[in-house]
Amino acid sequence: MKTAYLDAFKKMVSIRAAEEEIAKYYLENKVMSFVHFYVGQEAVAVGVCDALSAEDRVMGNHRSHGHYLAKGGDLKRMVCELLGKAEGCCRGKGGSMHMIDKSVGFIGSTPILGSVVPLANGSAFEQRYSKRGGITAAFFGDGAFEEGVVYETLNLAALFKNPLLLVVENNLYSVNSKLRDRRSAEHEVERIVTGFGVRYMKADGLDYDDVHKKASELVKHIRSGKGPAVLECVTYRHMAHSAPIFDDAAGYREEDVLEKRLEKDSVKKVRNLLLSQGVSETELSKIEADARAHAVECVKYAAAAPLPDKKELFTDVYA
Amino acid sequence: MAERIIKYTEALKEATDQMMEIDPKVFVVGLGVSYKNGADGTTAGLKAKYPDRILDVPVSEAGLTSMAVGAAVTGLHPIVHHGRVEFALLASDGMFTQAAKWNYMFGGGNPVPIVIRINVGRQWGNGPQHTQALYSLFGGVPGLKVVIPSSPRMAKGLLVSALKENNPVIILEPRWLFNIKEDVPTEIFSEPLDKARVIREGKDITVVAYGDGLHSVREALELIGDAVSVELIDLVSINPVDHDTVARSVAKTGRLLTVDTTNEAFDIGSEIIAHVARNKSLKLKDAPIGLACPNVPVPTSTVLTEEYYPTKVTIANAILSALGKPSIDKKLSFEELHLAPTTTLK
Repeated sequence: MKTAYLDAFKKMVSIRAAEEEIAKYYLENKVMSFVHFYVGQEAVAVGVCDALSAEDRVMGNHRSHGHYLAKGGDLKRMVCELLGKAEGCCRGKGGSMHMIDKSVGFIGSTPILGSVVPLANGSAFEQRYSKRGGITAAFFGDGAFEEGVVYETLNLAALFKNPLLLVVENNLYSVNSKLRDRRSAEHEVERIVTGFGVRYMKADGLDYDDVHKKASELVKHIRSGKGPAVLECVTYRHMAHSAPIFDDAAGYREEDVLEKRLEKDSVKKVRNLLLSQGVSETELSKIEADARAHAVECVKYAAAAPLPDKKELFTDVYA
Repeated sequence: MAERIIKYTEALKEATDQMMEIDPKVFVVGLGVSYKNGADGTTAGLKAKYPDRILDVPVSEAGLTSMAVGAAVTGLHPIVHHGRVEFALLASDGMFTQAAKWNYMFGGGNPVPIVIRINVGRQWGNGPQHTQALYSLFGGVPGLKVVIPSSPRMAKGLLVSALKENNPVIILEPRWLFNIKEDVPTEIFSEPLDKARVIREGKDITVVAYGDGLHSVREALELIGDAVSVELIDLVSINPVDHDTVARSVAKTGRLLTVDTTNEAFDIGSEIIAHVARNKSLKLKDAPIGLACPNVPVPTSTVLTEEYYPTKVTIANAILSALGKPSIDKKLSFEELHLAPTTTLK
């Protein structure tokens, strides 16, 4: 068990370090490119992806650095993409909101809210239709859960019994809009989901262990051919909706104020768990230092990497 | 070889059936496609032959279209059927923002082999929210291939090509043509997606049309007879547009008439005329002419629709007038104006 948590800690720390180094680079170099940081939500991506197999597929949304990395996506290619470089995972044409690394089963992220939900259902449809096995997991937020296409998909996925896991990362805000400004007091995600005949579980998105256990249970349910499932993970987004900064000064946060976020931080939680299991501070510090060094190296590599040829403007409009 | 005359809708069904036979990746989703006379007959009887591949669906156009896009990017070749373009608009994200961009935004190597068949255009009694054409909307999105079959033969050949294509193809099917008949080869054959066709050679004037408008031009040419030598071009594709074929023809005739069956603002003819106008090597003998529907929604009352679409008489007279010939005075019957044609094409 200790090994499993160590592995999760390594992954979460790697995602955290990568984004922190990228944020630093953006601020220092005034990079003018949209970016939605995942910092704070790492337990969700890692907890879910650890419950999946290599042949399973993952899709994401506008905030998908963590999902991409948790499924095994290459960090150098990710940072290159953020900086519009030729070696980026989309050759510089996508940017931060378009992560893809098909070699590890991360088959794409799309930033139009909710759009990934029916697309992932199509991937799950293919897995069932082609009898190839495997499931598709899609990450999206509480804001996207309000898009109509999500309800259409719950119905369609249940109807076709597609092997689809929908992971709702409820970080309490759609941009800066609070849940209570968007939903009635009687709104219940569980009743909506189960009303479609879809299995539902709710996890503490700041707790790797809880996410991983519940994701594993739902994955088992889906693999047995019983149809789709929804895992709602309540979590905290540490940084601003779409900038490399902390935005506590904006004053919209209520429950998840900085002090609370630091206290309940998901990376810290796994770290404390490992310490309590007898892993040494030295070992954990080394993991953190290695992750930091790798992130620094990747950002440095991407900063120096070549830009795409201008002729690429016209390539790949069609396959 | 003996003639084999079939309807436009039968040609679409035959292409679907024959391609499903050879390609297990092809499946069909759409409202009512499993019915006995599914999708206006274009999937009739196929449910019995392919029970797991002809899929009736809930009325969730956005969800099912994007589901098909997701299935396409992971290796299948879906056909999505939308019975009216107004319903297809609910799937705009899947068509315009996902399928059209996918290969480009992920840096290539990410094809989206999907066919989206959409019924468009005129039909008596259906009015503002059931008979739009919206051609320009589809023509203006990079990454899509968009074709408008003008005959049963084209319907079959273009659908076969679309199912062999590794890109998203939108087929806009004018329902005005569904009962048109033609001799169509029984075997599988392809018609190229991105090429206009000169379907009649002439020297006095170039007429560019597509879909149901092209059929009206064919009828107009019968009225005109030998009075004018018309070169008729079936545009076939509105994305990409084959401007070269138009330019070659206009270089020969020096005159241009375009016929649209959609609102005149930002119509297809305007795009054709703009390219000709920008082409310094082309010398026109006269200003180009564009016929189209007025900039109002499609009304329902037949008294009003009579004023809406260019008819064979208005088209014939536009051609005659361009060549300084006397116009034709012919009153069209109610049937000619409002009932879809059942002509057998020669």
